[in-house]
Amino acid sequence: MPTLLEVSGVTVSFDGFRAINNLSIQFPPTGLRAIIGPNGAGKTTFMDIVTGKTKPDEGHVIWGEENVSLLGLSESDIATRGIGRKFQKPTVFEAQTVRQNLAMALKNPRSPFAVLTHRKTAENAAKIEAIAEEIGLTDSLTRIAGELSHGQKQWLEIGMLLAQDPRLLLVDEPAAGMTVEEREKTTDILRRAAETRSVVVVEHDMEFVRRLDCKVTVLHEGSVLAEGSLDHVTSDQTVIDVYLGRGHA
Amino acid sequence: MQNSFIARNPSVLWFLAALGLFTFGVTILSEATGLGLISTSFVKTLGKTLCLCLIAIAMDVVWGYCGILSLGHFAFFGIGGYAIGMWLMYARTETIVLESLAGQNIPATPQEISDAIGNQIFGVVGSSDFPAIWAFADSLVLQLAMVVLMPGLLALVFGWLAFRSRVTGVYLSILTQAMTLALSLYLFQNDSGLRGNNGLSGLQNIPGFEATPQATISIIFFLASAFALGAGYLFFAWVISGKMGSVVQGIRDNEARVRFLGYQVESYKLFIFTITAIVSGIAGALYYPQAGIINPGEIAPIASIYLAVWVAIGGRGRLYGAVIGAAFVSLLSSWFTGGGAPNVNLGFYTIQWTDWWLVLLGLSFVVVTLYFPKGIGGLFDYLVRKPS
Repeated sequence: MPTLLEVSGVTVSFDGFRAINNLSIQFPPTGLRAIIGPNGAGKTTFMDIVTGKTKPDEGHVIWGEENVSLLGLSESDIATRGIGRKFQKPTVFEAQTVRQNLAMALKNPRSPFAVLTHRKTAENAAKIEAIAEEIGLTDSLTRIAGELSHGQKQWLEIGMLLAQDPRLLLVDEPAAGMTVEEREKTTDILRRAAETRSVVVVEHDMEFVRRLDCKVTVLHEGSVLAEGSLDHVTSDQTVIDVYLGRGHA
Repeated sequence: MQNSFIARNPSVLWFLAALGLFTFGVTILSEATGLGLISTSFVKTLGKTLCLCLIAIAMDVVWGYCGILSLGHFAFFGIGGYAIGMWLMYARTETIVLESLAGQNIPATPQEISDAIGNQIFGVVGSSDFPAIWAFADSLVLQLAMVVLMPGLLALVFGWLAFRSRVTGVYLSILTQAMTLALSLYLFQNDSGLRGNNGLSGLQNIPGFEATPQATISIIFFLASAFALGAGYLFFAWVISGKMGSVVQGIRDNEARVRFLGYQVESYKLFIFTITAIVSGIAGALYYPQAGIINPGEIAPIASIYLAVWVAIGGRGRLYGAVIGAAFVSLLSSWFTGGGAPNVNLGFYTIQWTDWWLVLLGLSFVVVTLYFPKGIGGLFDYLVRKPS
């Protein structure tokens, strides 16, 4: 299978602390992947590197069929090349309506002039309707995003990611603070999204990861400790020692 | 298209109607065109107030909508004033010089005329040579272009440097204060080429209209200011409606998120900063011919801070709030400081409002910020229930 994103030999230090240590990881063009690991394993830093927020000291981040290096590109540039990111805390624009939030995220020209002269089109409206349907917010399109429940905000943010039509979705703890039903719905949305694109979920919650039923990568101290099915990695002795063992102790 | 824009923004229509009514009222009550119930000097005050409202809506767009607390927009206002002032002063001095030389037997050479004008304008700072920046002062068209170009270019360069380095929040505010302070201090120097602390004066005399009474000139400038405010309001209302408004307010609320959506936040900030600077320049160019004089004190850092206070009191994040704030506070300010308010004798102490007005203003700023973050404009929310 071809590779969509290849991270190889990446190292980042903050004040002498190696947050990411010679990390190498690849993602195919479609499918789900879960990344787990204890606090400080480098999960968020890994996302920061891929999305251009943090510059690594060493290593390569190679994107797409044309093998573009993402290092040195700005956040907005990387985003328009097809990498979407969902933050741990739901970050939607609370002062604006659900429709405005989705319209802003919709894949359209991003330059100030294009945005200034932007006209609403039936095509865009249809796309927004379709995404609202997908995330279950059809009835809330005219509501102010700040009024939504926690779970709805999480879905709205996932919807904004889908509206960007990215090829790679980085999703940070999508199930945090959700009820069981909300989790199920979130799992369904992510699974469906993964049919046509690569979806990477960073998660603490083992139960949620089990529900995702996908390949799992365990991070520890900034590098990959184990990779495989959830059952495979949870039976790995080193994983039990550093992560699960500590968690169950 | 225009209809739907107005339909989606009913407050724009309300504002334009109120402005039109006000303008009409002042016109029929003025000395030049009506009943003479409003004095020429008050017409000028009202005209100047409209210019302050115009820079206030620019401030509201850059701060209230885009979240950039610029404390330097009066620099652009002043530059606009200086740009038009140079032509006004040059053209008027030229007329005077030509008149005084007309009686001579030998016609004056262009060099002599130029020297005489230079002597008239720069004698006060001990010079008679025209500095390079006066190169276009004889052309109204070019100086009008400067009104737009100079603030625009300064904002573009300053904004590009600041936003590219991701200077935000209070650091950006300090930087804008430094900009307006530096400009003010530079202009205070006699060899800056703009007459140092004397500034440019006699700007109320419009070259070519020497015979026209000030009453007429005042009402013309009043009308021009009202038109500019209306046009500026319409322009900004259009900019902040629709998708541009969404992105700009998104930048205010969560800059990083907008960036991860793929928008180049810096370009948007630069765009907003520059267009608001240009509108501020235009406001200044209309203000100073009504004020009659401009000097570097006008662009001291405090002026831009007042601007932020007006917008905060009026209610930021809504254009009419900025207009209300600027009009209300600046008119009240001239009433208090102009001796309009009677002193209050407490027996042991007499409150003189010329001294105490600033304390009152400062207190109301604190009170509004703490208890009424929506400002005076927020009161309209009680009157109008927004359809969701």
